[in-house]
This record gives sequence, structure tokens and C-alpha cells, in this order.
Amino acid sequence: MKSTLLLALVWTSISMAFAAPLGIYQHGTVVRMRMGDCMLMHRGFMNQFGPPQAAAVEESCSEYTLVADKVVYLIVGKSSNQLVPLAEVIDFRLQNKELAVRIDDARKESKFAIKEMTLRSEWERIQKHIDDRLNESSHQPVDTSIMALRSRE
Amino acid sequence: MFAHGHTRSALLALSAFTYVLACTAAADETNGSSGLPAYRSNVSEVRVTFFATDENNHPLPTLTKADFAVVDNERVVRVFRSFTHSDETSLDVVVLLDLSESVAPRLRATIIDVLQLVARERSIPDDNVAVLSFGGTGGGMSGGTSGGLQPAVLCSSGCRSSDSASKLLGVKGGGTTPLFDALIFGADFIAQHRRAGVRPVLILFSDDYDTISLHSAPEALQAVLDEGALIYSVDMGKSGNQSSNQGSGSMFLRRVSDATGGRYFSFSVGSSRQDDDAAVLNAVLEDLHASYVVTYDLPSHEAGFHSLRLLPTHNLNLTFHSRNGYYYEPNGR
Repeated sequence: MKSTLLLALVWTSISMAFAAPLGIYQHGTVVRMRMGDCMLMHRGFMNQFGPPQAAAVEESCSEYTLVADKVVYLIVGKSSNQLVPLAEVIDFRLQNKELAVRIDDARKESKFAIKEMTLRSEWERIQKHIDDRLNESSHQPVDTSIMALRSRE
Repeated sequence: MFAHGHTRSALLALSAFTYVLACTAAADETNGSSGLPAYRSNVSEVRVTFFATDENNHPLPTLTKADFAVVDNERVVRVFRSFTHSDETSLDVVVLLDLSESVAPRLRATIIDVLQLVARERSIPDDNVAVLSFGGTGGGMSGGTSGGLQPAVLCSSGCRSSDSASKLLGVKGGGTTPLFDALIFGADFIAQHRRAGVRPVLILFSDDYDTISLHSAPEALQAVLDEGALIYSVDMGKSGNQSSNQGSGSMFLRRVSDATGGRYFSFSVGSSRQDDDAAVLNAVLEDLHASYVVTYDLPSHEAGFHSLRLLPTHNLNLTFHSRNGYYYEPNGR
């Protein structure tokens, strides 16, 4: 009986140890992507106060807006060629102040720095406001008399 | 009474490959006073032609719409209106050849490259091949370049004839490098010879250095983008001198190739010239045959330039080649 319990305990521990990286993934969708600077990655003392490094200045890193269930993350890659697969749903987890994205359903992960975190409700409110402003500007009435004048010209 | 106004939003960079077609069907607002309801709808579509390459830089013959997403002005688009093979099957090939002093040591070899390139692929009609030059001393050219400052047409049809071949072999290198002006000249040439259903491709042989152009690099890039031409650039500065890999020289060639959806080539010292020119033309033809067209709703109606990028959804080894953006002008403003 004891040995069975011990075996079950060991088995459970091993399972948990291996399942931990796979079982705690959250799901999210990347809705925006842009190329920004990599300065977030180069904020060490030497980079801030040392001589300028051309490579660091010129390099641009991809920046993603990742919308999860409750939180919206703004994440930045550590190099110019670090990409997030733009699938409908991606798996990720938070690890040591970074966000690890699961690549192509494999165990391989790619780690990104978290630049900003916003509550999803707040982010949606801001997005709605931005969209409304954009729609207002794009639906401004066109002065057809000017258009007619232009066409005659 | 309903009056339907039909407004097309046009791109400044109107091309056969990527454009926004915005059609607005709107009921006349003034009818509101007559008590009748007014309906307005906007239908805007973006159309992108592209091809994909794998980790070995080989075009992918089969692709599904689940393999990629479009990033249009930072917005990720995964829902597409259509996704089809490109129906463009023929090419207009314009070879633009740098004759300037900086490439003089490699000029002879490059001209032989160009002659082999022109002669090699019989699937491209003779009328669809032209060779233009810039730089050089103007010796032996029709419409010769005065001191090499003005780009010139070496042959615009019949480039495979012996006359054209001897004319090409007779050109002399030297002088300054008006690279950006030459690209604008090439774009104008493409505009004048444009044919429906034919995809313009500009194969640029250069070492990437510009020394005297009146126009700037962005102007040159814009001119080529406006004509919807793909640029395949062959870096003449690389073949004989590996150390130039580190210079800023290749930056423009790379940038202009990427921005138009073409490709950049720098051949290793050991490769043979025959392999080199075969590789370029094979790449052009393979890319054409592996091209797809995707259309989607315009994600935002922001006027001006919309940056464009296609990225993989699962396999991060895939690279998608398309032009890098388009212009959107709402309601013809």
C-alpha cells in the first residue's frame, strides 16, 4: 500500500514537472504589429552612458499587441528577426517578467519583453474611441461642388 | 428618388500588383429632405500579389490562406475576401546595367551575363526584353549617353539579335553613377511600354553606389513602386570583392528589391557566371509561377501611405515577398 502511494506520488511529481511548461499556457491573439526600436533591450549602463553603437541604433524590433482574456500586452522582440507567429490564437505564458510564446505548437518558446500591460476593458474603450475618431474623419462630407469644378477643369 | 454616386478611391501608386479599389455607393444626402431614407455603403478592397520562399530561398509552389496574415498599417488581417493563384503569366523584362567607373573591372563579365540572360529564356518574347544602361562613356551606343550622365536604351526589342549583342559588347565603362536617375528612367520606360496582363520586372545590375543623380533614393524607389515593377537586383560589387559585403553599398539594392517584392542577389566568388544569370532568371520565372493574389477589406480608412507586410501564421521559416505598401486616398481627396 505504501509503495503504491509512493509510486503514485513520484509519478504525479514527475508529471507535474514536465507538464508545467505546457499546461499553464494562456491564449491570445495578436491584433497589431509594428517595427519599433530595440532600445528596451539595450538599457544597460554601458548602452545608456557608453559610446553610441550604430548597430543598436539602427536595429528595429517587432512590437506586438497581444490581446488575452483579461489583459492586453504590448510585447517587444529582442532582435530584428524575432517574430511571433500570427495565427488566430497563440499560446503564451508569463515567465520572469517576460512573455514566452509557444512557436508552432512545439515545445520551443520565444521570449519577448513586456513593454506595457493594460486591462482589456480599458484597452477596448481606448480602441473604440480611436476608431470613432477615425470614422468621423473619414466620413466628413465631400463638397461635391468643388469636385464638379475640378472635373470641369 | 435615389441617385447613386459612385466614387473610386484611387491609389497614387496605381499598379497591377497591389492596389486599393474603393467604391462608394451612396444615396444622395439631399434626398433626406424629401422624407425618403438615405443609404450609404463603402466597399474598399486591397489587392496584394505576392510569393513565398522557404528557408532555402526557394519559392513555395503550394500555399494556403491559413499560412499567412497581412499586416496593413500595423493591423493584422487574417480574414480575406479571396485568395487565388496570380493569373499573370508573362513578363516584361527590363535589364538596367550600371556602366560606371566603379564597376569597370567587372563590366565585361557583367555584359556577358546580361547577354546570356537575354538569350537564355525563350519563353519571354524578344519584344518583351529591353536593356538600358547608365553611367559609362557613351562609346558605341545608339542614343548614346553624353559623358554617361543620361541613362540610355541599348535595345528595346530584338535584343537577341547579333546587332544588339555587338552593341552591348561595344559599350565602354567609366564615369559617374546616376543610379537613382537611372531607376526613374527605367520606371518611365516601363510606363511607356506597359501592356495589360504583363508583369514588369526590372533586373538591376549595379554595385549600388550613386554619385551624381539629380533625384534622391526615395524618389527613385517611389517611381518604381508607382509602376508596380518588381526589382531583382544583382550586386556587382559583391562578386569580385567579398569585403564590400560589410559596406553600406548594398543597402539600397536590398531595400529597393524588398520594397517592390523582388529579390536581391549577391553571388559568391566561386560561382560561375552561367550559374549566376540562370539563377536570376530562374528566380524571376519561378516567383511568377508561384505568385498568389490575396484581397481583403481595407482595415482602416486612414488617408496616405499604408505599410504592408505578409508574415507567417505557423511556419516562421517562410518569407513572403510583396511590395511594402500602397497609397489610399479616400473619396478622391
